[in-house]
Order: sequence, then C-alpha cells, then structure tokens
Amino acid sequence: MASTFRSTTRLLASRPTSAIRLLPHTRVAAFHASQRQQILPPGPQVVQGTVNDPVPIPTPNAAHGSYHWAFERLIALGMVPLCVAPFAAGTANPALDAALGTALVLHSHIGFDACVTDYFPKRQYPKLRSFMVWLLRGATVTVAVGLFSFQTNDVGLTEGVKKMWKA
Amino acid sequence: MITTESVPASSADSILASQRLNRPVSPHLTIYQPQLTWYLSMTTRITGVGLSGIFYLYTIGYVFLSPFGVDMSIANISRKWGEMGTAVKMAVKAPIAAMFGFHFWNGVRHLVWDTGRELTVRGVYRTGYGVLGLTAASTLGLLVL
Repeated sequence: MASTFRSTTRLLASRPTSAIRLLPHTRVAAFHASQRQQILPPGPQVVQGTVNDPVPIPTPNAAHGSYHWAFERLIALGMVPLCVAPFAAGTANPALDAALGTALVLHSHIGFDACVTDYFPKRQYPKLRSFMVWLLRGATVTVAVGLFSFQTNDVGLTEGVKKMWKA
Repeated sequence: MITTESVPASSADSILASQRLNRPVSPHLTIYQPQLTWYLSMTTRITGVGLSGIFYLYTIGYVFLSPFGVDMSIANISRKWGEMGTAVKMAVKAPIAAMFGFHFWNGVRHLVWDTGRELTVRGVYRTGYGVLGLTAASTLGLLVL
C-alpha cells in the first residue's frame, strides 16, 4: 500500500498539471509517516450509521458493572491465600482443594473471556466472536467436569501440583 | 484541465471503509516507548493465559484422552516427567515458576490499586519494581523447593 502512495505522489510531482481526480480513487496520505509495522492485517471495516453519530451509551446494569467487578475481585482476593495455604500447610485438604479449584476455574474463565472480548470485537467479527464465546464456555464446562473428576478420582489439585513439581 | 467524478452519497460508507484500511492496525506496539507500566500489564495477561492454558489443557485432556486409554493420572504423568533430565525439568519449571510468581504478585499489586492505594505515577513504578523483585525471589524459591 505504502508503495502505491509513493508512486502516485511521484507521478503527481513530475506532472504538476495532471488531472485531479476525486473520489472514489481516494488518495489517502499514510496516517503515520513512519514505517508501518503491523502485526495483523486490518479486519473488515464496518461503518454503522454515520461518522457523526455519538457512541451509544449502554444501559447501566450493575450485574455487568459494579457487581461483576466486585465478584472478580472477590475471587482474585480469595485466591491469594488459597494459592499459598495448601502448600504451606503441607497437607492436602479436600475442602481447600475444592475452593481453590472452583476459584481457579472462575478466574481463568473471566480472564479468557476478557481476551475474547478484546481480541474478537463484535462489531468486526460478529460470527467469530460468538463462536469464541461458545468455544470458551464449552472449554470451561469441560474443565469443570475434568477438574471434578480429577479431584474425586485422582490425588486432587494441591497434591497433584506438588507431585509434578517435585517429580 | 480538471475532471471530476460524480460520487453518489450512498458510496460514503464504502469510501470510509476503504480509507480506514489505510490506518495503522492495533496492536501497533512498536510505536510506543517501552515502559514498565504497559509491559507489566501485558505480561500479566500473557502469564495468566499461559498458566490457565496449562490448567485447561490438562483438565480437558483428563476428560477427552482418558476414554481413549491415555493414562492422564498424576501418578503416571509425574512418573514420566520424573524420568526427564534435570536440565529439561528446569527449562520447563523456571518459566512456569516465573509466570506464576509474576501473575501472583502483580495480581496483589492490582488488588492494592483496587483499594485506591499506590495510584500515582510514583506508586505505579514503585510497586512495579517491587513486583519484579518479588517475582525473581519467588521464582528462585520455587525452583529450589
């Protein structure tokens, strides 16, 4: 793209009286003069409404706002002692294992969900977004099932981590 | 001589869309100065995804591989893992210990921020370097366990 701009610029410079053609063959100056080092190609450009429309303000909802925020923090806060206590105590307690496991599943799900929200924008990739959301939900449910099976049939979370670390 | 083209108003969206294709694409990380603030922020997500990824892969494998006769039990996996050389073990354990240490300590840093403390440029840098120090210490500690 950048080379296209350069060549047209040179063309214009050499023939200053050349015809000025307007849209749609828009000549857009590069946004940044520096070299473009993009990691990803630009996604599909979706224009909704006109450029002068204000950004819609979502309806205030505590379940998506302050409650959600507090819930996330509660889990994270609980995980601080839960990550340390079972290993510090030296004994595998099923109740602590269950609490740590539950917190771990919820914390992981919330974290992955934030990544899906950030990296698969609904506006540009509506189908991929809902696919990823459901893929994550499926994965989390599978993890919960697997973890329950692991906690009840195998050695449990704390003991398992310990065994792997000291193997 | 100047020539013009008739552009219907209805093509405004497609022109805008084609113009937008020329804009820089996020993430354009290289245009920012590397700073402790966003490097630690980014690392928190990467380490979190890494740690949870291991957890997800193992538990999903526990569900789907066990029926196919793959022994996913800790007894079997830890025995096989125990047979690996010390260098291999350290090469795997060191990054995991660092990832856990960093995510843990930076998580605590976030919880401190959530109480309204250390929310100044000075506080952000002070706690940031604290997290790096604690991560180094806890990584070493976990590796000598």
